Amino acid sequence: MISRLPGLSLPERVWNTVRRWAIAWWRILYLGAVVFVLVLSPSSYGRGTRRALARHLYLDTAPVLLGFTVLAALISLVLTRIVVVTALSYGLSRYALEMVIRVLVLELIPLTAALFVAMRCTIPNGTQITRLREGGRLEALRRQGSDPVRIELLPRVIAGVFACITLAALSCVVALVLAYLGVYGFNVAGLPSYTRMFGQVFTPSVTMVFVLKTVFFSLAIALIPMAAGLHDSGDRTQPDSELGGLARMFAVLLMIEVMSLMGNYY
Amino acid sequence: MNHHIPPPRPTPESAEGAFAADVPPVETLRPVAHLEIKAAALLLFSLLLIVGSGLYLLYARGAFEPTQTLVLTADDSEGVVVGMDMTFSGFPIGRVRRIELAETGNARIIVDVPRKDAHWLRQSSVFTLVRGIVGGTNIRAYSGMLSDDPLPDGAVRPVLRGDATAEIPQLMASARELLSNLNALTAEDAALGSSLNNVRALTERINGPQGMLGVLTGNEADARKIMATLERTNALLARLDGMATRADRQVFGADGTKDALVPEVRAAVAQLNALLADTRTSLKKVDAVLVEAQAVGANAREATTDLGALRAEVESNLRKVESLVNEINRKWPFARDTEIKLP
Repeated sequence: MISRLPGLSLPERVWNTVRRWAIAWWRILYLGAVVFVLVLSPSSYGRGTRRALARHLYLDTAPVLLGFTVLAALISLVLTRIVVVTALSYGLSRYALEMVIRVLVLELIPLTAALFVAMRCTIPNGTQITRLREGGRLEALRRQGSDPVRIELLPRVIAGVFACITLAALSCVVALVLAYLGVYGFNVAGLPSYTRMFGQVFTPSVTMVFVLKTVFFSLAIALIPMAAGLHDSGDRTQPDSELGGLARMFAVLLMIEVMSLMGNYY
Repeated sequence: MNHHIPPPRPTPESAEGAFAADVPPVETLRPVAHLEIKAAALLLFSLLLIVGSGLYLLYARGAFEPTQTLVLTADDSEGVVVGMDMTFSGFPIGRVRRIELAETGNARIIVDVPRKDAHWLRQSSVFTLVRGIVGGTNIRAYSGMLSDDPLPDGAVRPVLRGDATAEIPQLMASARELLSNLNALTAEDAALGSSLNNVRALTERINGPQGMLGVLTGNEADARKIMATLERTNALLARLDGMATRADRQVFGADGTKDALVPEVRAAVAQLNALLADTRTSLKKVDAVLVEAQAVGANAREATTDLGALRAEVESNLRKVESLVNEINRKWPFARDTEIKLP
């Protein structure tokens, strides 16, 4: 991470790196706060913004919804089959469904949905913001007295959050249905015990961790690429700030995942 | 660092309109047909999904089910977790809501039982807390008498502990003792080994020339004695057989022989029969003689009667003679000695 520029001493290089790192994280936090305020303020939902918001909501979510659902269904089916067959061979079939739900619904699907939305929507959106910034459009908006964050960034952030949550919710439901079908087949005989087991897995604390994790995942993948695209890195020596944003996003996702695991299992 | 955020004075519409004139669009925005409806539908779908999941979760957690409380007291709540099931005949009928420590130091396990399942629990129900070697702890309910009164809300019942792992040390000690016993049994110089050796020697002797008899008598001489005895007994039996044959012949006789005992006896009996017939004839004759003798007797009786009369007549005649003599004596005294001398 430390810049290897000739002519700079080690303390200067360390200082530069720490400064850049701190600035990047501060920008993410600040942008998050600004977006939060804008989301809560009714004036953000004017006619023009509403149309842009609807467009982004629809275009970021609808095209990927079917594909991702099919992908999640496939993963769920394969994993359910593996877990159930393995558990059966060890004589632990009563724990198989619980394990499937814990592994798939609680851990894998929210992360997969976040990564999918990041790859498909929010990172390209961050690139668009970079292009807008480099094309001078944001500057033009600012010159006209308009707020580029509200005009260009807010709809993309909300769309990213929405897409992530919708995909995660739909995939979780699909995974739950497929896990049931994979174990019990096409009948409703196992529904009461399945519901009971579902209720036992989703205790209030687990549910809260799950909801918070999904929300923070969506915020991370929606905000960090935008923050990286909105700002120049300020350092000519490192032109690819998008990659830095990507690395930060993965770091945040990892951190959220680790914290959720700690919350659930410690 | 935050120079990009000016105060948002103009409205977004005006801003959009303004830059639409000044700034050329960076990318071509294709219009989406029925955008607002589609976006609203998507929002609604997402909202329904989340709300539906939440409602299902609440239903799965039993939020919409009226329940009654059952308090189980145990001396140790190890392995019991909040949310675990209480089962009846393998079916979950209750869920642990809370575990708390009572003032007496016991654990209080508070179980929510749905009202629709509460009828399985009766006053006489027994509750057990079983911890398996593999898997979690189970709380089980047993109702022996389903005709008993139902368990009231808030009932407090003790729970019986059945711990499979607690018996492992005892089991291990027993198994170790058993193994040491087995070792002692199967050792080289153990009683079992010597017994087996004896059995082997025994079977070898049984299979030997003297066989079982040699084993029973212990030495060869006795075995030979027994064999000789057996042979003599056989000879004796053969002689007895001959004697029996001879006796048979003497008693019953062979066909055509006359010197047998039984035919002679038979002939004697026939002769005896004839003798008896003769005797019977003689007796009949004696009978006739007796009849005649009877008649003679009767005649004699009649004669005796006549004799009585005769005697009386003789007696009277004698008296008459005596009186005549006396008369003569008185009239003619022949007699000088009147004294009568008795002999």
